[in-house]
Amino acid sequence: MKKLFIHLAALGCITALSACGSTGSAKYTPPDGSLDKCGLRFSWWGGDDRHEATLAAIDLWQQKHPDITITPEYGGWDGWTEKVSSQISGGTAPDIMQINYDWLVSLSPEGDGFYDLGLLTDRLDLSVFDDEVLSFGRMNGRLNAVTVSVSGRGLFYNSDTFRKCGVSYPQTWSELLALGDKMSAEGCYPLDLDIQSGGTAWYLAVVYVQQQTGRQFVTMDGELGFTEDDIRAALDFYKQLEDAHVTRTVRERIDEDGNAALYQSPSFIDGRVGGVLEWGSSVGKYDMVLPAGTLEAGAFLRGDDGKSGGWMIKPSVMYAISKDTEYPDEAAAFMDFILSDPECAAVLGTTRGIPASSRAEEALEAGGLLSGLAYDSDELLSELDVVTISPYMELPRMKELCNTAIEKVSYGKADTSQAAKELYTSAEEYLKKVRK
Amino acid sequence: MKKRSYRNPVGVGKYTGLWLIMPFIIGFAAFTLYPFAASFVLGLTDSDGVHTARFIGADNFTDMLASSELRGAVWTTLKYTLILVPLKLAVSLLAAVLLNSEIKGIGVYRTIFYVPSILGSSLAIVIMWQFLFTSGGLADQLMGLVGLPSVGWYGSSTGAMAMIVLLRLWEFGSAMILFLNALRDIPAEYYEAARVDGCGRVRAFFRITLPLLGRVIFLNLVLQTIAAMQEFSAPYMITGGGPMKSTYTIGMLIYDEMFRYHNAGYANAVSWAFFVLVTGVVLVLFAVTRRRREEDV
Repeated sequence: MKKLFIHLAALGCITALSACGSTGSAKYTPPDGSLDKCGLRFSWWGGDDRHEATLAAIDLWQQKHPDITITPEYGGWDGWTEKVSSQISGGTAPDIMQINYDWLVSLSPEGDGFYDLGLLTDRLDLSVFDDEVLSFGRMNGRLNAVTVSVSGRGLFYNSDTFRKCGVSYPQTWSELLALGDKMSAEGCYPLDLDIQSGGTAWYLAVVYVQQQTGRQFVTMDGELGFTEDDIRAALDFYKQLEDAHVTRTVRERIDEDGNAALYQSPSFIDGRVGGVLEWGSSVGKYDMVLPAGTLEAGAFLRGDDGKSGGWMIKPSVMYAISKDTEYPDEAAAFMDFILSDPECAAVLGTTRGIPASSRAEEALEAGGLLSGLAYDSDELLSELDVVTISPYMELPRMKELCNTAIEKVSYGKADTSQAAKELYTSAEEYLKKVRK
Repeated sequence: MKKRSYRNPVGVGKYTGLWLIMPFIIGFAAFTLYPFAASFVLGLTDSDGVHTARFIGADNFTDMLASSELRGAVWTTLKYTLILVPLKLAVSLLAAVLLNSEIKGIGVYRTIFYVPSILGSSLAIVIMWQFLFTSGGLADQLMGLVGLPSVGWYGSSTGAMAMIVLLRLWEFGSAMILFLNALRDIPAEYYEAARVDGCGRVRAFFRITLPLLGRVIFLNLVLQTIAAMQEFSAPYMITGGGPMKSTYTIGMLIYDEMFRYHNAGYANAVSWAFFVLVTGVVLVLFAVTRRRREEDV
């Protein structure tokens, strides 16, 4: 018996060893040109607005293609990356996946982590996307993902709260700072900034410094663009926001809301916190919990000197096909449907932002559906000189390092110089490691 | 009277026993032994769980020694274990003593006391804890009634640790059941004899009950220590490991490295170091209680 266990343990070691060298090159099931009867899995994250619209879009697909059944898998953003990456490493990834921009860097740096969509152009019409949009999804020359929408993180305000406090939406950073005292007299805050998975506290501070300096925090090829002084300036700015009561301190926020997401917290739903920094493609979940028409898009803040750059855009969500799918034609056909089919576009609306597919956008325009918060924010953003966010900035470890620096400064455990030094060193070290 | 004979339907051969336990052996080999061995090998690589891994020898283990994050997590885990385990043993023993009486409806009480243990750290608990411990929540209101100031549970290191400890303390059912069974095995005559000799209830508890429960106390001590050191879901769901990593346990660190940071090699190496740590702690427990346990025999 003892021998049997030893043999089994040795077998385990050998299998693990062999697994070390088995996932190198991509071997896809080739497309066969026909649409066969099959079942596909489609996964996405989002809020209830996106879930409802996507389920309706799947129903529409089922009416048109009863032979290709789509099984939906969906949930909130928290924990979603962990769930999907374990599915991918276990070989049980859904056939079609909504993916985040940074997953390309972490899961497919060589371009072999997802199906090469360049092989599926018979079913997937790429002519409706412009080249720059397509380039976001290309890794090592292979088209791994298609951008659903390009959006920016903008400011959205609760109009009732601002009306109650007798103030108007800020246009500049100094107007935002001045709002803190005025609104706190009414027991309200103009803005919420967090150090949860969204990491909006660091994000806004980065935008501020990028606008001032013209340097990007992390460059597209994964180099740290900020100096240690820039990082300190960003942390100083965040601290200034806290001190001016623009946002709650990290401790006040967590004491009041626990670990809940802002849109699920009483402080936001009751209107005590009057603003949120969110991607245009994801703002629907905040809109849903307030009375209709209450949430409004605000200006992208600029400096008193008129500088307005520094705000970032990214492919807010992308679709990819699993490299292990057995039905690439069918998966591509479904992907084309949810990306560009005019009827489907009308059902999905702007729940994933303004569609990057020109055909879907035209369908929304024709149906008078190009409206709402995502559209308003997009319109404001289109007037600015924006920068594309680096996927390296979105990596969970980078977010964690930045959130830790914010937390230390907020709790007074480190001054901004100390926290900046730590963040600069650790971010440099980490980026060097992931760039390899 | 005619003697009845029984025939074994499967037949008793040399390997019958082995065949009968084969389902367990297969399950154990596939779901425990294999991952256990494979995890060690992965700990020697730079695997990210997705791509081709390279052998890097003991690099992950040397990285561990230099990691202040890991040191913090080890300290948090030990602190949590040291606070929780003695409290849990005391509370579960007290509850077991109280429930070891033959009053009407005692079964219902025992069930009620056990219910929290089956809730674990589910979403319902997270929401309940939020209602209880966020500012202005029930805990603050109750403390206000007796003139105590608001604590700020989620935002302070002590408060956050207390919330996690309270959750697990509340789930004392399984330890209580073990104590209850052992208590029911103590013959009532001992207590009657003690009472006749003028021994009070408190003295009887310390002189009769506690010594006779020695082995079960040790069993509970070991089981609860192992469970506490493996804590993951409560801080993950309730505090997210914060604030300032004050509830960031080794379990959370392994999870983050594995699933959030795609650092599978390092996560597996930490798992092995963690296994050695837990084994070490249990061996220490065995060593310090040896004399006491030998006396019991």
